[in-house]
Amino acid sequence: MKKIISFLLGCFVALNLSITAANSAANEVRVAYFLEWPSPNLEDMQKKNFAKALGVPVKWTNFTNGGAMTDAMLAGDIDISYSQGLVPFINAVKSKAPIKLVDIAMEYGMGGTTCVTSNASGITKANATELEGKKVAVPLGTMAEYVFDESMKVVGADRKKMDIIQMDPEEGAAALVSGDVVMACLFGGNSIKAATAVGSRLLTVQEARDAGILGIDITSVTTKFMKENPGMLRTFIEVTHEANARYRAGKSDMNSMAKASEMKVADMKETLGGFKFLTPEETKQSMEKGNLDAFLRGMGTPRGNVDTSFLPL
Amino acid sequence: MLTQVITILILVSIVGCILYGRRLIKTEKVDAVFGNPERAKGGTHWIIVGSSAILLIWLYYSWDIAKGFYPKSANELCQVAKINESLLGLKYQFPIEEREFKSTSIIKIENKNLQKITTEIKNSQDLSTQQKKILVGFINKTGQLIPLLTNDNLMENDTKDKIKQMTDELKLLSSNFKKKNYPFETEVEKNERQKAISEEGGWGITTVRSGTGSIENTMEVPLIPATNRGLKFHAAAEELAIINDKFFKLRNHNPQFKNSIKRLKEDIKEYRKSLNDTEEIASAYAKDIVKIARRIEFASIYPPNALNEMQNAIIEFDNLQKSEQGDLRLIDILLFPAGTIVSSGTSCSEQGSGRWLPKPSDTLNKFILMSKPSVGYKNIPLLWIDMMDVSKIVGFILPDWLADILPGEYPIHTKDGVVKQNFKGQVLKVVTGDFKLFKIPVPYGHIWDSFLRVFLGLVFGILIGVPLGLFMGLNRFAKGFFDPLIELYRPVPPLAWAPLIISVLGIDNTGKVFLLFMVSLSIMIISARAGASGTQLSKIHAAHSLGASKKQILRYVIFPNSLPEILTGIRVAVGMCWGTLVAAEFLAGTTGIGFVENVAKKYFQYEVIWITIFIMGMLGLLFDVTLRKIIDKTIPWRGKG
Repeated sequence: MKKIISFLLGCFVALNLSITAANSAANEVRVAYFLEWPSPNLEDMQKKNFAKALGVPVKWTNFTNGGAMTDAMLAGDIDISYSQGLVPFINAVKSKAPIKLVDIAMEYGMGGTTCVTSNASGITKANATELEGKKVAVPLGTMAEYVFDESMKVVGADRKKMDIIQMDPEEGAAALVSGDVVMACLFGGNSIKAATAVGSRLLTVQEARDAGILGIDITSVTTKFMKENPGMLRTFIEVTHEANARYRAGKSDMNSMAKASEMKVADMKETLGGFKFLTPEETKQSMEKGNLDAFLRGMGTPRGNVDTSFLPL
Repeated sequence: MLTQVITILILVSIVGCILYGRRLIKTEKVDAVFGNPERAKGGTHWIIVGSSAILLIWLYYSWDIAKGFYPKSANELCQVAKINESLLGLKYQFPIEEREFKSTSIIKIENKNLQKITTEIKNSQDLSTQQKKILVGFINKTGQLIPLLTNDNLMENDTKDKIKQMTDELKLLSSNFKKKNYPFETEVEKNERQKAISEEGGWGITTVRSGTGSIENTMEVPLIPATNRGLKFHAAAEELAIINDKFFKLRNHNPQFKNSIKRLKEDIKEYRKSLNDTEEIASAYAKDIVKIARRIEFASIYPPNALNEMQNAIIEFDNLQKSEQGDLRLIDILLFPAGTIVSSGTSCSEQGSGRWLPKPSDTLNKFILMSKPSVGYKNIPLLWIDMMDVSKIVGFILPDWLADILPGEYPIHTKDGVVKQNFKGQVLKVVTGDFKLFKIPVPYGHIWDSFLRVFLGLVFGILIGVPLGLFMGLNRFAKGFFDPLIELYRPVPPLAWAPLIISVLGIDNTGKVFLLFMVSLSIMIISARAGASGTQLSKIHAAHSLGASKKQILRYVIFPNSLPEILTGIRVAVGMCWGTLVAAEFLAGTTGIGFVENVAKKYFQYEVIWITIFIMGMLGLLFDVTLRKIIDKTIPWRGKG
């Protein structure tokens, strides 16, 4: 009996201390990023320029969605998330996660995130109200849901009257091909390719851009890292903006970027064509009263989670 | 209130039952030796201890006990967290919680980096001796920047004054903080604060967002200080934040340093300009050296003893705020295990086990809220009743082609735009269910949909699996023919089929039911086959000699004999089906418990996730208890053959 009690007490103490003890000085910066989602600073990642600029090793981990990035940040495994989607970030801060938005990674026309209606259904932008009462595949809680919401506002259809099915992009594309849904909202080159084979975009890339539907990927950071290592964070953002400037000047090393994002150079160039990498000034503008600000307001995001003080202005 | 009562009840019952158990051991006469199953019989009191312990762990690690006994503690801890947040930036510069000064560690790292780049340059094959010399010269100059910052004599008076000023501010804050009436709030401010508190709501309030019907966590931890103690910390945190910002902006840059780094930067810039395109490597090294120089420029490096007074002031305040916390500190340590309340600028939140383990009270409240048919989840209730016309059932059962094969044509509209119905048209209306009969109540909602899917998968599995299994147990052809097929597909985890399901069977219930059918089928076949081949030969012989036909032997001997095995198989299959259901509903869902869990995960709604887990556990248990009853009723001969 005594052994059991002492064992239980030991477990109890160990559990209670487990989280408080995990506090150590930053001798490594852990960054999350996406594969197949190229950006100029991946060249620096490939060439280890970040480690040189920050003075400590930088560990890059790839993720498949922005929500997982948040989870990893909360678990204390990631310090900085680069190119996290804005919607996962908003969901995270709505649930009071201690993370902050410090930079815009890129803005992009919704070429890479879009809604596709099947040709068989005969639904286009003109008769989009026919979507009401039909089945629509949407990956909830992602940028695609935002695009879906905004597109429906543009075409004047009521989302509440539709039968919205939660599906990841690959499955949404498959369901569109099999005719189970009349529209699928998706992201990712391969899924869009499969969907557009049997359907067409509800809004063309240009129409979406005109309607002000655009995607924003951001750089988010844990509050703890931000407070403890402001210098490192500033350097990280600075190197990123240097890389963006280099890209704008046409001096980026495409081969090493392609290698880092695990894409073919041609495919990557096509994807990059849809991205807009902002200058620090444009970033500040967007964060304070531009696109990003409007986006955050539109989604009802709690205020005070955006910090422009780390931008290299 | 309820939480408090329950917590106390649980504690009392645990202690009581343990005492009872110990007394029982002493008083009870047990003849059974060790290893005799008799010794494991009875023991309701241990059941109570077991389930109470689980509940207690849940209450404790979700911090519900803290919420029940000290409802104000989260709000107060939030104010303490604000102080910690403001102190974090200041403390981090000093060896308070770290091992060394921030300055020391930066100097260490940068010296190491300089050494590293020196060796790299010296060993480089691509650089000429001349280039190496110049670059090493730059490195040395960069290294010489550090002593310019750490020299006490070079430090500017202005910087010293600023540090002194901040130290004084900290000291003033400490002396004010001790006072009872700090932060000297006026009556007007107090009233405003009280109003804001009443608008803000309490700890862990959830509301239904009007319009969309989605449940949101509006307030995790109230932010505005509600108690006097909290107010004290809140006010101090604000003052500290200002000092922290000042300190963060302060740079120990004296004229000598500024000149040196300016010269170094210009030299390197000029050198890089003078290089042509073929000397890219030298240029890159030069750039790296500039980066190190800039890091040194931006880092907060101070002479070794310049910040001593400030450090003491910070430590003094830190100790003061810790002692001012009083019993709050104890509550934090004891009742907020594995984590605490953390502040991040505009909000306070639970970080640690309280975050992902929702409080039983919150979970219960949310469950009650979700159970309301008007709320539900994503506009669909958990379980409710809908009035459905019987005509729909008729339309579902009768095939639509019945109308097509009738002679004649469907009605066409006339010139006046009127449609005149004919017989063929009437029949079509009947077979498609487009008419009014009487209405019957039909259950619907997430729980019902999940239940139905499992039930259908199970029924189809039994209907096909049991006869096939019996057949395989009795017939050489069937055994040989089906065995390889079934043995091949049986070990495949059902979820391995999942990626194919959408493409082949679509997104409706068919696919999900099929997946569950696959699960139950193999189990039913195996158990029916084992039952059939396990029948005692003597019984079959007895029936045979009494003149029973093949059919009679199957019906009255083999089937009843394999029934225990089959029913056990069903019990196993139910468990497996529930396990697969969640994943099946993850695939493409509009309804179902798995769908709810999947969507809740995306919005970080931990309470909903736990609710779905409990619902599934309960439904699984319900299925199992029902089956056990059926087994006891239908096969009283089980275990007596």
